[in-house]
Amino acid sequence: MPSWQNFQPFIVTGLALGGVYALSGVGLVVLYQATGVVYLALGAVGAMGALISYSLIAAGVAPWLTWLVCLLFSGAVTLAYGMIFGPLLAKREPLVKATATLGLLLVLFGVMDLLWTTSSGKVRSLTFPTDGHGFSLGNVNITWTQVIGLAVGIAITIGTAAFLRFTKLGTAMRAMANDREITATLGVPVRRVEAAAWLGCGILAGIAGLLLADMVALDATTLTFLVISSLAAALIARLRSIVLTFVAAIVVGLVQNMLVPIPALTSYSNMAPFVLAAVALLLISRRRVITLSREEA
Amino acid sequence: MLDVTDSPDSPAGTASALRSPLLRRPAQPTLIRAVVIVVLLVFVLFGLPQLLSLYYVDAMTQVAVYAMVALGLGVLVGRVGLMSLGQVAVLAVGAWSAARLLFGTGQPYPLVLLEAGLVTMILGTVLLLPALRLRGLYLALITLMLAGAVTVVLATLNFPNGGGGFSGYDGNQTHIPPIRRPSIATSDPAYFRYSVLVAVVMFALVAIHIRTRPGRAWAAIRQSEPSALAAGINTTAYKLWAVALASFVTGVAGGTYAGAVHYLYPYDFPAYTSITILAVVLMGGAYNLWGAVVAGLLMQLLPALLQNWGVSNDWLTILFGIGVVQVLTTAPRGLADQFPKDMAKLGHLLMGLVRRPVPAAVPETTGGETP
Amino acid sequence: MYGRVAHARPFVALIAAVGIATLVGCGSSGNPTSTSSGGSTGTGAVKSSDCGTKPGVKATGTPINLGAIVTDQTGTSFADIAYMADAYFTCVNANGGINGHPIKYYIETEQTQPAQIAGDANQLVQTDQVLGIVGNTSIIECSVDSSYWQQHGFYIIDSGIAPECYSTSNSAAVNMGPRYSSDGAVQYAISQHVSKIVFDQANVPGTQHIAAGPNALAAAAHIPIVDLAETPPVTSANSVAIKEVNDAGPNGAVILNFTPPDALTILQAAQKLGIVDHVKMWGCSTPCNTDFLAQSLGAQWNSKLFVNAELTPPDSTNSKTMQLYNAILKDYGSSGPHKVAGGVGSFSQMGFTEAEIAVHALEGIKGAYTVASVNAAFKGVTNFDTGMLCQKWTYGGYSSHLPNNMDYTVTPNNGKMTTAQGCTQISSVDPDIAAYRQEAGVAPLDPTANG
Repeated sequence: MPSWQNFQPFIVTGLALGGVYALSGVGLVVLYQATGVVYLALGAVGAMGALISYSLIAAGVAPWLTWLVCLLFSGAVTLAYGMIFGPLLAKREPLVKATATLGLLLVLFGVMDLLWTTSSGKVRSLTFPTDGHGFSLGNVNITWTQVIGLAVGIAITIGTAAFLRFTKLGTAMRAMANDREITATLGVPVRRVEAAAWLGCGILAGIAGLLLADMVALDATTLTFLVISSLAAALIARLRSIVLTFVAAIVVGLVQNMLVPIPALTSYSNMAPFVLAAVALLLISRRRVITLSREEA
Repeated sequence: MLDVTDSPDSPAGTASALRSPLLRRPAQPTLIRAVVIVVLLVFVLFGLPQLLSLYYVDAMTQVAVYAMVALGLGVLVGRVGLMSLGQVAVLAVGAWSAARLLFGTGQPYPLVLLEAGLVTMILGTVLLLPALRLRGLYLALITLMLAGAVTVVLATLNFPNGGGGFSGYDGNQTHIPPIRRPSIATSDPAYFRYSVLVAVVMFALVAIHIRTRPGRAWAAIRQSEPSALAAGINTTAYKLWAVALASFVTGVAGGTYAGAVHYLYPYDFPAYTSITILAVVLMGGAYNLWGAVVAGLLMQLLPALLQNWGVSNDWLTILFGIGVVQVLTTAPRGLADQFPKDMAKLGHLLMGLVRRPVPAAVPETTGGETP
Repeated sequence: MYGRVAHARPFVALIAAVGIATLVGCGSSGNPTSTSSGGSTGTGAVKSSDCGTKPGVKATGTPINLGAIVTDQTGTSFADIAYMADAYFTCVNANGGINGHPIKYYIETEQTQPAQIAGDANQLVQTDQVLGIVGNTSIIECSVDSSYWQQHGFYIIDSGIAPECYSTSNSAAVNMGPRYSSDGAVQYAISQHVSKIVFDQANVPGTQHIAAGPNALAAAAHIPIVDLAETPPVTSANSVAIKEVNDAGPNGAVILNFTPPDALTILQAAQKLGIVDHVKMWGCSTPCNTDFLAQSLGAQWNSKLFVNAELTPPDSTNSKTMQLYNAILKDYGSSGPHKVAGGVGSFSQMGFTEAEIAVHALEGIKGAYTVASVNAAFKGVTNFDTGMLCQKWTYGGYSSHLPNNMDYTVTPNNGKMTTAQGCTQISSVDPDIAAYRQEAGVAPLDPTANG
């Protein structure tokens, strides 16, 4: 068993990664509550935004501008998908809505591989000015990027929770999560609220895409499927509580990273999000409720 | 639950369906359909290998394998309304079991396939049993999670390559022996025929299930689970039966795959492929057995063609993505069901133009259990 | 899926890489092909037309069909190797051909699907009727097809990755492959007197076989060695880098054996985390030997990262062969559908070398060109001066083939890979090397070898 000192750097990376998982997890939960869609293409859209940012930087555009473009892109694509296919599938059950987003995932995936082919040794990478600069806490190095990862996760969680609680738009979203039909009859502009949710989720996807591209890898496949870790956190929170999503995301990030220094378990560290999510789902559903409504959660 | 037929819950319909047998005789005479199937089979078994180059024979063997996988997924998605996002992991388990048995024992091939199917069936049901409580979306997501975990385990364990021990994997091997094929089917065309025959057996197995009691129970559950429960159907048992059948068929497909490729690697079974399988099953038609064949062709023949023509496979991925969304929004029963309907409509339109006054009474094949 | 965009990623193998993908639409990233090599591209003594026997004369006879199978998928692509060979053959066709016969080169790409690879072999042999196989570079092709080549009498010239590329009678590689290249990297670390070695590689089938070489070397030098393996693609590079550094200790060495993308990801993670200097040195097998990698890493890696180089460094060699290589790359490999995207680097060098050997063998054939005569010619290549390797290259009728068993070590120096150590034999402590040298002896040095 490795020493406490050996674990420390992994706790740092785990927290940073967990913060970013929380970021996209929150996006998933808010969108699901407002529209009933589990946005499985979240990773893919963030990945494409990050790749666009990379290409623009390589073409000489200022980095901060490219990050903006990334957010705009992922927000726009998500909004477009939501506005076109949201109404078409609005009456279907959540499973169908989620499966449809898999279609978007496939399309984005194909486009990414067409436009950003990989060959030979080419590795694309996204770097932030904060990489490589940091401070020491005891005998562990912490880079500013890692601090940003965790800080953004916390900020988004608090911000979103406050938004849902205190603003009109947020309250409308919570009302729609409760019962869409009644909310509509109360005169809430349902389509506009949904649009806001789609756009917000898309922007969060873009932020997460950039951070993960820097912290993990700028690779279409890796980033697309990292959504599973955020999804695990969201599922543990039953797709309901923002704060619980954050906590779950931190736990997923920590467990995944802290398994690495244990020699016998290191190969299985990538299993952590899957196993945690599966266990959580099973524990949660112990009391079976059968309803005739189409609501799943 | 996934209801690809998009029919609203109708308790009245369910109740009446339960009172009388759900199976209506198909509109066409069964004899004609049987003859068509036999002729097609004869052509595929004896004509195709002569006509195609070995490159395409290999591709068609893969079509047979993945048609079986699509068949299994079709049972879950189309018949019962359970979604699985992890079929590729099931395929991998089947391939692994078959490879281990083929290396470790000298058993005849059909027995190995049967055993691989059984192992996969047991594993599938055991893993999914606690999850059957979950409703549609959560069930789908848990299959994704379980498949991801299995994929990681397999990547670490590696596939058998002739070594000993439980895993059968020897990391020191420099001359990895190929996974053997049945002695009557060692050449590629012969193995293609063998795979097709295995697929036919699997299709027959599923068809029998559909026409008998499990099929009726599944239809009731797909219509409305609470109503089915209320009518006294043991939904958990029948759902488990569907999972068992789907896992068995996919396990056998995995065994067939192992013999086709001779060498197994973790890269053969990326989690991403589960999504592709789902896409082609939806596009081909989850409800229709022919849809599974279409799915296999989409997934394995098209890429082989594209590769030969120099077109990137990314276009196919994009096509599948569009296909998924299109199917879910407009053509819930998939191509295999939509195509004959469209053709029938076209036919009647033409006939209507030719013979004006005759009101074409369209015998719609909707609702019938069209395998 | 048959020919898919791999997700899960396929990815593993060791071959030196230089790759730069061209971007469509979003403006092109600069193409950092290192054109600084030699400087005498085009002008000067050597023109590309020197590739053939009759400069300027187009070959118009019946074609000689050759084939290749290369992996080309997301994350791992060896297409450049075949494309460079194609460029060489095109050059030869424009300058006399093989005694007037042009070479028709069929390239099949695959995505690590055994069924597809077997299908590709069938396509080449049965449909395209190729007479010889040159330029194969694939993660698993050697395993899948080795018995096929034996059955059909093909002696293939390839760039090896899987063990069967070296351990079977019908395949001879121009490179050293993961095990022996890792041997070279570990050997250099041992020569630097490190106190511990951490050997980390991609968890692909055969890891134990690959690790056996480095383990033998470390055991003979009485240096403790830790073997790690990461499932590719590496998605948690930060954790991997931290783990390696922790295990190696301040006076240890971390030796990597990954595909170029994964290796670079790990090295960059170490750089981002600021732990590069927490070990004495970093080492890497051949895949890291690219100017692209040197440019992507910062200056703190100068003389900190030592990469095993299986081929003569192009930047510091100005021989006639290297000039010809640059000329062919420029004239025939820089545009069109078979563009060598990576430019100057190990991949294109390997393609060049394999094509060079094939052409040399074909030119010696008197009489008809058949599968038998072509493969007999390939097998008969003995002590050939490739100008790209430390030693002369021999195929021969041996039970295993390791014709390249002597290497350089290079280190990044402000964006370019420079020689840190000249031609050094891989130690016979590795039993495979010892067995090969027993059968084939030690080949004489190539005249262009340094050191």
